[in-house]
Amino acid sequence: MSELSERIGEIIQVSTTRFLAQSDDLSVLPHFGSFIKTQSQGMNIYGLVFNVYETSIDPNRRAMAFGIERAELLRRQPQIAEFLKVEFEAVVIGFADAGYIRAYLPPFPPRIHSFVYPCDSREVIDLTEDLEFIRSVNALPGLPVEELAAASIRLAYAERGNDSAFLTRAGQEIAQLLKDEYEKARSIIRRISDGR
Amino acid sequence: MAGKTKHIGSIIAGSLLGGLEAKLDEDINVEGISVGRLIVVDGALNKFFCLLKDVSLEATNEDILLNPPRDDFSKMVHAGVNTFYKLSLQPMLITSQEPEAGDRPRPSTTVPPHFSPVCEATADDISLIFGEPGLTNPEIGSPIFMDVPVCLNLERFCKRSNAVFGKSGSGKSVLARMILGHLVKSDMAINLIFDMHGEYGWSATSEGSGLDDPSLRQLLGSKVAIFTVDADSPLYRKIRPDYDVQIPCGIIEIADLELAAGELGLTPAGIETMYRLHDAWGEGKWLAKFLAMDAGELSLVVEELKVNDQALGKLHRCLSRLKRLPFIKKEVADDTVARIMNEIRAGRHIVFQFGRFNSMLSYILVANILTRRLHRLYVDKTDSARAEGTEGPKPLVVTIEEAHKFLDPAVARQTIFGTIAREMRKYNMVLLLIDQRPSGIDDEILSQVGTRIIGELGDERDINAVLTGLPSQGTLKVLINNLEPRQFLLTGFALPMPVVIDAKEYGLFCDELRVGAGVIGDEIERRKSMDTLKASVFGDDEIRFD
Ligand SMILES: Nc1ncnc2c1ncn2[C@@H]1O[C@H](COP(=O)(O)OP(=O)(O)O)[C@@H](O)[C@H]1O
Ligand SMILES: [Mg+2]
Repeated sequence: MSELSERIGEIIQVSTTRFLAQSDDLSVLPHFGSFIKTQSQGMNIYGLVFNVYETSIDPNRRAMAFGIERAELLRRQPQIAEFLKVEFEAVVIGFADAGYIRAYLPPFPPRIHSFVYPCDSREVIDLTEDLEFIRSVNALPGLPVEELAAASIRLAYAERGNDSAFLTRAGQEIAQLLKDEYEKARSIIRRISDGR
Repeated sequence: MAGKTKHIGSIIAGSLLGGLEAKLDEDINVEGISVGRLIVVDGALNKFFCLLKDVSLEATNEDILLNPPRDDFSKMVHAGVNTFYKLSLQPMLITSQEPEAGDRPRPSTTVPPHFSPVCEATADDISLIFGEPGLTNPEIGSPIFMDVPVCLNLERFCKRSNAVFGKSGSGKSVLARMILGHLVKSDMAINLIFDMHGEYGWSATSEGSGLDDPSLRQLLGSKVAIFTVDADSPLYRKIRPDYDVQIPCGIIEIADLELAAGELGLTPAGIETMYRLHDAWGEGKWLAKFLAMDAGELSLVVEELKVNDQALGKLHRCLSRLKRLPFIKKEVADDTVARIMNEIRAGRHIVFQFGRFNSMLSYILVANILTRRLHRLYVDKTDSARAEGTEGPKPLVVTIEEAHKFLDPAVARQTIFGTIAREMRKYNMVLLLIDQRPSGIDDEILSQVGTRIIGELGDERDINAVLTGLPSQGTLKVLINNLEPRQFLLTGFALPMPVVIDAKEYGLFCDELRVGAGVIGDEIERRKSMDTLKASVFGDDEIRFD
């Protein structure tokens, strides 16, 4: 996997449906709703970022307010950065098996300390060819489904060079996937149609 | 394969009795789908020919109705999922998907499986159902929204009494004229047309352009003979009718006058009095005698016959209106009925015109009296032909405008038209009724009508009347309610299934009818001159039918 793009983090906790990774670099935050991947046992496992947070590295000590703008503060006291970390959580949405992208859960989760990379354009397009993954996302408790679906669709839309046919198809799929939850479908559709 | 199949939906529910239901494809604009269309459902083994009877808006859940999508994008993506359009179809005919030679569409006895594709009928489907245009299967229009001929099977058409209904201006006379033109041209039956409004003779004024359209005589030449009751009409300065209608007083029956009671102002007492005169002076004589009387003579009658003098005076005044009708004569020089029979024998079709005497009174009298006499002759001819085992007289189609005047429930049992309608085709005579007020026609007569051609109708009672005795009335009613002028629902004996058509453009009909009319016309002329030659050699003794 020499052609892998620059890694953005390392996994520090896993379960079948989601994983938690720590960012390598304080200065770049992964985007909410972006598509990421990791490797495990020769298989690419894909996830969708649904939560990003920046905390103190010591669970017993919270960061304190200094009353100075962040950029200025870090310039004056660079050591503060040493005590901060960025973590992000992703929901597993599929995996690649023998070259095919499957939009359902892999047989095993990724492993801790695996590296995390952003998906390339081809992968984003393949993963969003149908929006089955939104069904899985919707089935998991505690996720901001409406925001997440809308954000990921808008990313995929941009990845396709703002192809409005895709947006229409996506809207129809949302309507279909969530046909029993009209209000939810409606709010996602409203969000994605904003970006046109 | 002429005409590409256009997929518009799939079957989602249905029953043979209640009809089929289909979900419209999302990419089809519902406003392009209108009731009355011919639809084909591709079943596994059969093709189902259906009529589109309704289109409805459906939603899969309540929420979307309570909180509808506002912007176009949302409306579009919810379409087909949360909202969809449902088509209600009435299956009419089926054919096998792999028909064998000679297979004809037959009435539908089953339903197609779930999700069978629903398509618009193609040109091939239409011609499979209605046949290819031809001399005895002429094109009279096309299914609405389609440019394919719908043909009328004239052979079946002539086997029953038929009707063209529609409110004034719906185009029924023009359509009737086209059908009659084809009947004349094809010689499937001899036509006798009582042309109250002067539209079936030489020409007819088009309300649209105000110009004169050519009518039967102009189009078909000597195959059509014109009789007129108004010999001196200035209308005929250029083109003379062939014959004058002359009706001797002696053949007018009380029943004829009763039919025109409204027009003559006859009261029940007057009718009673007529019977007294009839009994006293004899059938065939009383009317002429009575009409010729003056006041003095009338008072003698009062004494002689013990009738009420006021009733008699009133009756005299009423019946005196007959004296103003020039075609009613004491003595006639020319027997109109014999002339008609000659023309029929020669294979000519007859149009009766009324010129300036186009009052209901003259119309009712002429149509009723002539038809009654002809019917009697036809009954005799048919009966004797049957006894001898030979062919009967040529089938006759009698066309009457304002048919309800003759077939009102109060009079339908007595009039000759009621009799003809009821006895079906026993004596080779059938009717073509043209009427704008079908609710005025006796129910029993309506249910005898073989093929109904139904145009725009405004009145609910008329719509119910034209549906009398038909299956799938609910569907047909929807179709009738949606008709526009010059659109007709055709249903009945001569049609394999009901269909809504745009009537053919009259100009096109004229152009087509002229083609070949000359040739056929010439052939008729040739045969006629042969007949005349034969007659001059062998003598023309008996009236024979060929
Ligand atoms: N098939 C047709 N082609 C052309 N013009 C038509 C046709 N049908 C009706 N029209 C026009 O409509 C007018 C009214 O039609 P008509 O048959 O006289 O109505 P109705 O007898 O029902 O009162 C005609 O004079 C003609 O101008
Ligand atoms: Mg008319």
